[in-house]
Amino acid sequence: MQGNPSSRRHLLQATAGLGLAATVPAAPKAWAQGPARGEALRIGVMTDLSGPFAGAGSQPLFWGAEVAIELFNERGGAGGRPVQAVTADSQSKADVAINEAERLLGQEKLEVVTGIYSSAHAVPLSQRFEQAKKIMWITSAIATAVLKDKNFQYIFRPTVHSDQYAEGSISVIQENAQSKFGAAPERVRIAVIYEDGPYGTGVATGIEQQCKARNMLLVMKEGYSSSAPDLSTMITKLRRERPDVILHAGYNPDITLFLRQARSGGLRFKALIGHGAGYSQIDRLAETFGADMNGVCNVDPAGTQMLDHSKLSPDAAALAQEFVRRFQAKHRMNDLPTHASMGFNNTWVFLENVLKPTVARTGGMTADALRQSALQVDIPVGGTIQGYGVKFNPPGHTMSGQNERSVAVVMQYENAKAKVIWPSAIAGGPPIFPLPAGHPYAAR
Amino acid sequence: MNIFDPFLIEALINGILLGGVFALPVLGLNLVFGVVDVVWLCYAELVMVGMYIVWYLYNQMGWPLWMAFAVCLPCLAVLGVLLHVLVVRPLLTAPPINQVLATGGVLFVLQGGATLVFSTEFRSLGVDMPPMEVWEVFISGTKLSAFIAALVGAALLWLFLKYTYVGTAIRAIARDREVMPLMGVDPRRIYLIASAIGGSLAGLAACLLLVQLDVHPFVGLSFGPITFMICVMGGLGNMLGGFLAAFLMGVIISVGGFWGTTEWSYVFAFLFFIIMMFVRPRGLFAR
Repeated sequence: MQGNPSSRRHLLQATAGLGLAATVPAAPKAWAQGPARGEALRIGVMTDLSGPFAGAGSQPLFWGAEVAIELFNERGGAGGRPVQAVTADSQSKADVAINEAERLLGQEKLEVVTGIYSSAHAVPLSQRFEQAKKIMWITSAIATAVLKDKNFQYIFRPTVHSDQYAEGSISVIQENAQSKFGAAPERVRIAVIYEDGPYGTGVATGIEQQCKARNMLLVMKEGYSSSAPDLSTMITKLRRERPDVILHAGYNPDITLFLRQARSGGLRFKALIGHGAGYSQIDRLAETFGADMNGVCNVDPAGTQMLDHSKLSPDAAALAQEFVRRFQAKHRMNDLPTHASMGFNNTWVFLENVLKPTVARTGGMTADALRQSALQVDIPVGGTIQGYGVKFNPPGHTMSGQNERSVAVVMQYENAKAKVIWPSAIAGGPPIFPLPAGHPYAAR
Repeated sequence: MNIFDPFLIEALINGILLGGVFALPVLGLNLVFGVVDVVWLCYAELVMVGMYIVWYLYNQMGWPLWMAFAVCLPCLAVLGVLLHVLVVRPLLTAPPINQVLATGGVLFVLQGGATLVFSTEFRSLGVDMPPMEVWEVFISGTKLSAFIAALVGAALLWLFLKYTYVGTAIRAIARDREVMPLMGVDPRRIYLIASAIGGSLAGLAACLLLVQLDVHPFVGLSFGPITFMICVMGGLGNMLGGFLAAFLMGVIISVGGFWGTTEWSYVFAFLFFIIMMFVRPRGLFAR
């Protein structure tokens, strides 16, 4: 019709070019600064900087890693050599994550990639890294299934895994059943809802196992797609089952959808406990729901600002304060997202306790040398900014590569600040159960 | 099975209200396809742009909500016209795959542009209406209002198409694209008008969705794919068919989720779609 073939072709080319520009991940960015000099040590940092996961914790995960690398380089790097991060945006898509991993391994020829926010990405990536015999250092993805019974040699996860999340939430219910909910633990009605990827499924499976083991009453277990446009039928079913406590494993758009539709759907409960991911982004949730988030709980590794730093080792306490200062100077948040601490802490453990000794020992870094160093890491409890220690399960263990000293805590939000309520040994105060009468979600 | 189970009735009502959410983008897509014969693969992203416009005017600029809504519609109409003039018109005689790729390219441009401008943060309008409770059945005030607005929008569109000269010309050109120019209808003008109306419907859908969903650059993934599926199921280009299919699909998802699980509800919906494609390949309501 209109236009000549040439202009059509140009328009198509331009449109396709623009489309590609939007889909192709941002050009790899590298930074290396500070007093460390010499040939840079290149490590991969793969997170989701776009797509739904970015807003559900992956962005602060990256920012935390960024601060860790900057600080590490300022302090002299590894043997005077700076770390240069080769970044990759997996765009909240598993296929992009796999392609980016191929790029990092094939073109960039990296020996180690850190990061990995989503368990849905970690499951296929771990197989690929193991096959390539390169280190994958998981700083966030929590699904137990990533490591369980795999006997991986090159995959390490210093952070907690989903079974520990389940242990945390069920423990806090069991320990407070009689005193707070007015019922024996086995009579408290529990419902679990979860996004149906490896993360949510892992948490929900762990909760089901915990309930079974402790003879507690799980009245409903239901998954949903995190991109579902409507959850109102699930809310209707929750109302029918009358749970006292709702346990939720979700990302961000689905959590806000659930909370909004729960309110308009007349859903009431005595407690709501999230399990990391979207529930860790309290600034965002509070921005949307304000005081409605008061009393909502979350299970996660502790954000460093929640801990009593006098109980950390002096080095860890000083590092924690330095991290918080630098992070807030850059990003100014009301309360640091847990993922920021996870990104910093787990990257720092790698840099300081794996990379540095490897470079000192071998003069460089190969995946096998890094692996040897990782297996030697022995940080006692209180030795990291998140309070837990680090020692990896050896090959042959059912959770080979998992940090056996990782700890999840249960926290409760009040005015957009988190307070640890479990385990009681480090709790900042007693939990507020049930939700107070004036709360819009409080059971009547 | 107790058909008077209030929870089942609530699920049924939820399904009908959900159909209202799908109906407007389905109408817009079908209108454009019926007239211009090009699928706007980026339609859900146009809705996303509209959601950002409303959010920005209401939450950032402090405009009254009704005024933000009122501005959103003409903005999206202009965007629809621009999409037609800059991307669709030069490809009208090109193979369909080129048209799909081009509008698909716009999809990524809009997603990428929104990420650059607004980042990946989830933006909420922060507006909610109290629910209504009738005999243990809770009906969301927000969803009910959106549903009524969708019905009014659809009715106005129907009146326009039925009782105005331009509307008649649009329906005529949708029936026979080749002959109508011979009858004195200027297809270029009709294409522009249809694109503007299609854009406006995306704007109205944006207003109604924003009171229910947070906006982020990838929000289109939540309702875009199912919107296309409903269009095909109702008969691509068949506005009434698409409109009815939207409610049918809403009820299947909701009641299917009630009897099964939320995960399975979409499996039921897609199974129904696949079966219908075998039984009625031109669409459930194709004439």
